[in-house]
Amino acid sequence: MSKLSTLFFRKPGLFTAALLAPPIFWLVIVYLGSLAALLLQSFYALDDFSGVVLHEFTLATYAHLFDEANRDIILRTLIMAAAVTIASAIIAFPIAYYAAQFAKGKMKALFYIAVMMPLWSSYLVKIYAWKLILAKEGIISWIATSLHCQWLIDAILAIPSIGGSSLSFSYIGTFLVFVYIWLPYMILPIQSSLERVPFTFIEASADLGATPRQTFRNVIFPLAFPGVVAGSIFTFSLTLGDYIVPQIVGNSRLMIGQAVYTFQGTSGDIPLAAAFTVVAMVIMGIYLMIAKRLGAFDAL
Amino acid sequence: MRSEAKWPLKVAAASGVLFLLLPLALIILYAFSTEEKSFQFPPPGLTTRWFATAWFDRPDIWPPLYLSLKVALISTLLAIILGTCAAAALSRAKFFGRNALSLLFILPIALPGIITGMALRSAFDIMFISFSTWTIILGHTTFCMVVVYNNVLARFRRNSAEMVEASMDLGATGVQTFRYIVLPQIATALLAGGMLAFALSFDEVIVTTFTAGQQTTLPIWIYGELRHPTIRPITNVVAIFVIAVTLVPILFAYYFTRESEQTPRA
Amino acid sequence: MKSIQTAIIALLASASFVAPAMADMVKALGAGEGQLDIVAWPGYVESGASDKAYDWVTDFEKATSCKVNVKTAASSDEMVTLMNQGGFDLVTASGDASLRLVAGKKVQPINVDLIPNWKDVDPRLQAAPWNTVDGVHYGTPYQWGPNVLAYNTTVFKEAPKSWSVVFEEQNLPDGKSNKGRVQAYYGAIAIADAAVYLMTKKPELGIKNPYELNKDQYAAALALVTGQRALVGRYWGDAAVQVDDFKNEGVVASSSWPYQVNLLQADKKPVASTIPAEGATGWSDTTMMHVNAAHPNCAYMWMNHSLEAKVQGDVAAWFGSVPAVPAACKGNALLTDTGCDTNGFANFDKIYFWRTPIGKCEAEGSCVPYSQWSKDYVAVQGK
Repeated sequence: MSKLSTLFFRKPGLFTAALLAPPIFWLVIVYLGSLAALLLQSFYALDDFSGVVLHEFTLATYAHLFDEANRDIILRTLIMAAAVTIASAIIAFPIAYYAAQFAKGKMKALFYIAVMMPLWSSYLVKIYAWKLILAKEGIISWIATSLHCQWLIDAILAIPSIGGSSLSFSYIGTFLVFVYIWLPYMILPIQSSLERVPFTFIEASADLGATPRQTFRNVIFPLAFPGVVAGSIFTFSLTLGDYIVPQIVGNSRLMIGQAVYTFQGTSGDIPLAAAFTVVAMVIMGIYLMIAKRLGAFDAL
Repeated sequence: MRSEAKWPLKVAAASGVLFLLLPLALIILYAFSTEEKSFQFPPPGLTTRWFATAWFDRPDIWPPLYLSLKVALISTLLAIILGTCAAAALSRAKFFGRNALSLLFILPIALPGIITGMALRSAFDIMFISFSTWTIILGHTTFCMVVVYNNVLARFRRNSAEMVEASMDLGATGVQTFRYIVLPQIATALLAGGMLAFALSFDEVIVTTFTAGQQTTLPIWIYGELRHPTIRPITNVVAIFVIAVTLVPILFAYYFTRESEQTPRA
Repeated sequence: MKSIQTAIIALLASASFVAPAMADMVKALGAGEGQLDIVAWPGYVESGASDKAYDWVTDFEKATSCKVNVKTAASSDEMVTLMNQGGFDLVTASGDASLRLVAGKKVQPINVDLIPNWKDVDPRLQAAPWNTVDGVHYGTPYQWGPNVLAYNTTVFKEAPKSWSVVFEEQNLPDGKSNKGRVQAYYGAIAIADAAVYLMTKKPELGIKNPYELNKDQYAAALALVTGQRALVGRYWGDAAVQVDDFKNEGVVASSSWPYQVNLLQADKKPVASTIPAEGATGWSDTTMMHVNAAHPNCAYMWMNHSLEAKVQGDVAAWFGSVPAVPAACKGNALLTDTGCDTNGFANFDKIYFWRTPIGKCEAEGSCVPYSQWSKDYVAVQGK
């Protein structure tokens, strides 16, 4: 044993290799192997008549992706993911900023709990809680009726395309639930990158005559930005692949995740489901490349 | 001396925190609702009887709970081993392909869960692997590993390698060095990463639906109960139970990591 | 890539040789295997979990030691997919799934001699086109019933007489538009509902069978459901979710099953159901056995058990359906003696039972197949 450790110490390359072998084995075999299987599936096609997957190479499934209905699914998911990401960043920043730079002692612990508790409570129960909030006979309506401003909700719901017959049957509802569910994933990376901003920087900036606004814009925000990008990877990716939220709070217009789930589960069309997954993979691939350039990976 | 926050920031932060916490209050409130099937607001009455019902009259809760605990424990354990190995290797060594590898190590969490799920499902399908507890664990370990890896990697980067070198120079064996030098350095990161991994696995439903077949984990049970409620408040009771059980280790981990991270900051 | 693909295809090919050829009909029954896995519509196989009075599983489990596991499915498509995946013994398939399962060789012929209760089955159902192919029985009839129009009785003082309340924009009796207050089923088979409505509304189309539509007839039905999208806030796929939508989301009229109406009425909600003048689609379900059923003896025992008059009556009372065994209509405490009439025992000939639309059809020669229905209906919902 001691000989082995000495060997590793003398030859660090060998040690690194020994350390890397198990996780790489896992990721390459289990993960990349599965992704390859997925890619393979997407080049098969479903026989319309028998509902059986034909195991022959074809691009027909990909061609099917460009049908108007399927294109709409992809576009709608992209817009939703982008909107959720931007809104999460806007809501998360002040929370993270206050928690990182101003909160102390008990207050800091409170912020920590406020972020962690929603993260740790059941995802499904949270979604159903929101259903209760957004339903036509739900809490928002109840409050609005009590305050005699039901007209406000009606006006919001009358907005074309994002409105609907009820908050829980509209894109607004889907959007709100997504923002709520993924918000902690945005707060945490921003907070940790803000905590790495040394207070001396801020003092120095002030000493040199910068106004607080200038300090924020020129010192704090640039340093926190990789955290925002890191958080956005989560919010964007999680929204892109979710199929439960839009199913419970939504208007029956499919998103990519639902399409994958429905095509593989209800229709048994695994090739088309796989092709949709490949689309999500390509989108995330592009997103990750941009994120890497923006330095997000150091803030993950 | 740091300055006080301006009021707009305070208001924004406070509303954000309220936004995060109010729905949770609702979950707690509806565990006490007298309404059984579907919820309406305000609840018609309050009762504590669902807690007793959940504990005594619902044997169907326990098997999913055990399955979820089993999956989460094994996945976390595997993730800790695999994630720590990967972090240790990638934090120090410089070698060809290191960048590509570090990208590979975050992929399972950066790509949507539905991709992991669908990919595994395709692989099982092609290789005729039938669903079992291990197919669930396979999926969960893949993303849990990344969580541990991230936490431990950050810690390794912060610590100096000299301690390890000194230890080895002074004749300690690898095991001794690991036990007395490396482990204390990364213990809290392991704890935090491990807990996060456990929590993710325990609550995971997106990947699980693709890898579980007909098995029922706790989230799948909850999903079924929410859609086809027999007694709806029971799901809230279970949710509260999960929140309560996890809150203790969260606080524990918070105080634990905070003390070790009191770095001088002006 | 190419070589991997070839290798996998080779693997698949060799596996299919190993798989048993079409299983022969069971000749004799042995002891139960201790377990039974059923794919069923929600509410079809109850073990008293929802209501203690409605339980036709516990006694069966005690008598046969077959532990019953139920997987509920929300649509016929889901049932077909589950049966294609395998791992189940039985499925309660509607007519738009049953023939697909037979054609796909996923279900096996049933030896009715091994099912003593077979003699009690309604003769109208014993050899119906959705459960019997070339004289071979592929399962035991379970229940049947209409897809009703459920409506809110505070909005509609009297029952709506036409399906137009869910298909065409109009003001409802309470003076407000039906926009956003009606629902439609999420499965593509709902296009047949539109076809039934068009049979009366536009007789010039000449629709004879809502599941056999030529290009023009189909185009008209599709246009109708496309227009319906603007009225529907959300499509319903899950019975329990629809119940919730009637309670909390202001839905006042929708195609539905008697099951949801029963649940809503049990909860004292102002909801009733009707079959409008145009008639209705409906379902007639068959308990079918998977070709590779792991528990064939338990499966046969269940099929026999499911035809007991007591079980048939209890299911009919719970689901709001009509029993496949007429004897169940008398003397059942839960169904009561008027239950069969209420649920539509006499309507058998007025219901267009769910069937899978196929390209080659009797009425028109060439029809639009189900795969097209499926694709188009997803697109309609996305509009």
